[in-house]
Amino acid sequence: MDSTQVARFQLAESYLRAGQFDRAIGLLEDLYEASPATHVFYEKLKEGYENVKMYDEAIALVDQRLALDANPVLLFSEKARLQFLKGDEQAAYASWDEAIAAAPNHANSYRVVFQSLSRVRLFERAVSILEQGREKLNSKDQFQMDLAYLYSLTNAHDKAMQEYVGLLKNNERQLSFVRSRLGRFIDQEGVLDKSIPIVEDVVRETPLNRSYRELLGWLYMENAQYSEALNVYRAIDRLEQENGGILFSFAKQAADAAAYEPASAAFAEILERYPDAPSAPEAQMGLAEMHEQRAQELLERAFDESGTRISAPNYEASFAAYQVFLQQYPTHPYYPEVLKRMGRLQQDVFFNLGDAEATLLEVLNEFGSSSAANDADFDLGRIAVMRGDLDKARLIFTRLEEKLRIGELAEKARFQLALIHFYEGEFDASLTLSQVMNENTSTDIANDAIELKVLLFENKGPDSLNTPLNLYATASLAKRQRTYDIALAGLDDLLLRFGSHALADDARFLRATTLREIGETESALQAFLEFHLIHPTSFLVDRSLFTAAEIYEQQLGDDDKAAETYSKLLLEHPTSLLASQARDRIRMLRGDGT
Amino acid sequence: MLLGLSRPATQVHAQDILIPMDARQSDHLKAYGIAFWSLQRGVTVDWLLNYRGGSFLLPFDNEIEQELRIRGVYSEKLGGAQTASVISEVESEANNTSLVRLEKAPRVAVYAPQQTLPWDDAVLLALNYAEVPYEMVYDDDVMEGELANYDWLHLHHEDFTGQFGKFIQYRSMPWYIEQQRQAEAAARRHGFRKVSELKLVVTQTIRDYVTNGGFLFAMCSGTDTFDIASAALNTDIVPAEYDGDPIDPDALSKLDYSQTFAFHNFRPNFNAQQYEHSDIDTGPPPPQLRNPALDYFTIFEFSAKWDPVPTMLTQNHVATVRGFIGQTTNFEKQFIKPNVVILAEAPGRDEVRYLHGSYGQGTFTFYAGHDPEDYQHFVGDPPTDLALHKNSPGYRLILNNVLFPAAKKKKQKT
Repeated sequence: MDSTQVARFQLAESYLRAGQFDRAIGLLEDLYEASPATHVFYEKLKEGYENVKMYDEAIALVDQRLALDANPVLLFSEKARLQFLKGDEQAAYASWDEAIAAAPNHANSYRVVFQSLSRVRLFERAVSILEQGREKLNSKDQFQMDLAYLYSLTNAHDKAMQEYVGLLKNNERQLSFVRSRLGRFIDQEGVLDKSIPIVEDVVRETPLNRSYRELLGWLYMENAQYSEALNVYRAIDRLEQENGGILFSFAKQAADAAAYEPASAAFAEILERYPDAPSAPEAQMGLAEMHEQRAQELLERAFDESGTRISAPNYEASFAAYQVFLQQYPTHPYYPEVLKRMGRLQQDVFFNLGDAEATLLEVLNEFGSSSAANDADFDLGRIAVMRGDLDKARLIFTRLEEKLRIGELAEKARFQLALIHFYEGEFDASLTLSQVMNENTSTDIANDAIELKVLLFENKGPDSLNTPLNLYATASLAKRQRTYDIALAGLDDLLLRFGSHALADDARFLRATTLREIGETESALQAFLEFHLIHPTSFLVDRSLFTAAEIYEQQLGDDDKAAETYSKLLLEHPTSLLASQARDRIRMLRGDGT
Repeated sequence: MLLGLSRPATQVHAQDILIPMDARQSDHLKAYGIAFWSLQRGVTVDWLLNYRGGSFLLPFDNEIEQELRIRGVYSEKLGGAQTASVISEVESEANNTSLVRLEKAPRVAVYAPQQTLPWDDAVLLALNYAEVPYEMVYDDDVMEGELANYDWLHLHHEDFTGQFGKFIQYRSMPWYIEQQRQAEAAARRHGFRKVSELKLVVTQTIRDYVTNGGFLFAMCSGTDTFDIASAALNTDIVPAEYDGDPIDPDALSKLDYSQTFAFHNFRPNFNAQQYEHSDIDTGPPPPQLRNPALDYFTIFEFSAKWDPVPTMLTQNHVATVRGFIGQTTNFEKQFIKPNVVILAEAPGRDEVRYLHGSYGQGTFTFYAGHDPEDYQHFVGDPPTDLALHKNSPGYRLILNNVLFPAAKKKKQKT
């Protein structure tokens, strides 16, 4: 190429870049005529023709190159592509066949044709070319990556998986690559259903190939088949002598996905098989946690409505598992956290205040600088309230609030202080504290503070001692302390003496709630139903109707009455915050959307 | 043409239900669903155009009242005299109001693929929330003549040019790969080499559907790409990145604007990398206005008695609606055909948001933007929860279109 040609070629290139194809083609045609053997002239001229859809000229150009017998596979493929773009599909297919025929015993021929077909997105044909090549070359492992990708693109996910399995057979370290490739298609419908059986088969046939099992485990996890995944990871753990490492990773993932049973099983297996593994303490804690989560999910209770102790298998298993942790790992950093959790179970589930206090004191005394200590201190305050030792509780919450100042636990402590003032009849102090708290509406406790503030604000008097409010506060405390008979007697007394006081609606509502809590379902229902007749303007009236409907639905199984009561709520209180929930319940009861 | 009807005195019910659509309404969107539900049950609904935000009047019925309550729609019971008073006020020459009778629930189809795509569809959201039943149709159904079974067809974020939404930056994403694969498979199934060829026939079939009396409503890129594809029937405007071959160098001169519904003289965008189909779309507002608090458009007011159709389509409880961005955000005024009625525009910017026109026996309505309650909906964003936007004026415009085909046609004079 002389300098003049170089300059003209550069000008032609700039025309191509600017989309001025006609000008570029004129220059390139002259250049090509002067020097047909110069490859870049040929390439750029072909590009120019293609850009203006002059396919015949482009094909003629390729034919000229073919006459020189330069590279028939590449040129026939290129010719075929141009013919296809021109719309002459039959000629294109013939040219692709010619490309293969030019060198049928070379893998590269099939690869070049496949790439040419892929460029015009003829994936099905590309697949058949590669399959043909594999047969011709008598090599099952040829084109695995290309075929796998093409199969995925053409929805033949089972075949794609066969290819990926083949890749792993040759090189287990390709697992990450295979996963990333599959990851692009994994969300598509049918991918997992078609892929999993393939990998299951190959794991059965070749049980010692770790990459197969890991792939299968991953597919199960993607398909939310945690129990099946557990079996796979269990096997890997044993075969590869991972000492529970693989199982532990699985258990954590399963726990995050709320698959509590497989996670529990994995934790249990680690403890059984590898009690000395580094992950064993966390597995023990994880096991306890899974039982606890399961109990919460099932709304498990350790006492029935009449106060009789009943079996709570998941909570009991959780407590037992925490106990084992304490026995076996007394120096573990999680020891105080586990202690604290046990204390909370003793307090809130088993209502065993003495044991709870002992447990929580241990956290406080032995691990005062741990993060669990503040929580334990807070719970000790709650125990003091339940025992009626309000001075002690006040001291604990004050100390905690002063220590923390900010954060959720500080707010909770502040609210408990407001409640203690309330229980003790110190309503001004309680009001001041609750007003301060509801300024910070970002905290979860703000709603409770607002409710307390409204109660105090609206219900003082009529006497200077605020007798009705005092009676109500005493009943509230009794209910919290689970001395229900005292609570009910106090509320009855309040209603008898101050039936027309503004607090009467709160008292009736608290009474109905207490009745429901102790299993007096019929009485509770009656109390909620008559509420709106007695207090039609109370802000609790919609809540009472909703709760009555809920009792019909959930406890008495009377769907018609439930729907009727929800409808009554909508009719009488259309702007209630509970209206949308009531609508949803009615729709559910009448079977909408089923 | 549609006819405004008065209730004959003999038909005035002892008691009616008025569903006001002004600021008093608790759930505007579900109110449309109630009107639709009533029509399905054979109840005639009167649409009181421009009366309290475009209210609905129905004969009293316990079941309707119960349903209103369950769906959370505010209503008022009217005695016979009150109803007569309302109707006479609506029919009064002194007021820009009128009564349109809705008689039959339209059969609704939404043109959308079965494949789940990572963006919401405002109309599907509106129909689902309002509880208006619909069926989904796509290319195969259109090609098989299924459109004849429906009165109303909706197109949303569709790309009729065959460029897969010009989402080339997402080309390695599974949803994009699948979308392209399915579109190509459909094209080949129907004997076309390219997706753009199939989509052209689909647009022409939809145009025939409108010609024969169908009601078409489109949003976002379903509006301009429909007309771009229609105009490009004799040329190739799709860059090689999307269909493997370059655009026709003479594409611009081969565009045939006589084929389009609403737009003419526009220029397609040939840059494959640019997320823009043509200069019809004005694009997002200028940076100083690209703020949901500042960006808005105004709905025009029409004569309810003489222009019932645009009046129906613009019923709302506000005159100003918050703007929202889409792949097609607003239509450039200069490219709108003169016979098209402009229903809403961004004030002072020559940018049209909402337009309507007739074609043959049918009509088309184009509404620019993607999601009226999500200022800038990005790929992968979660769908809008309409329970939080029960009174959305932007969504009301969509639902006006759903009810409008139910209006009683005027009898032809002989």
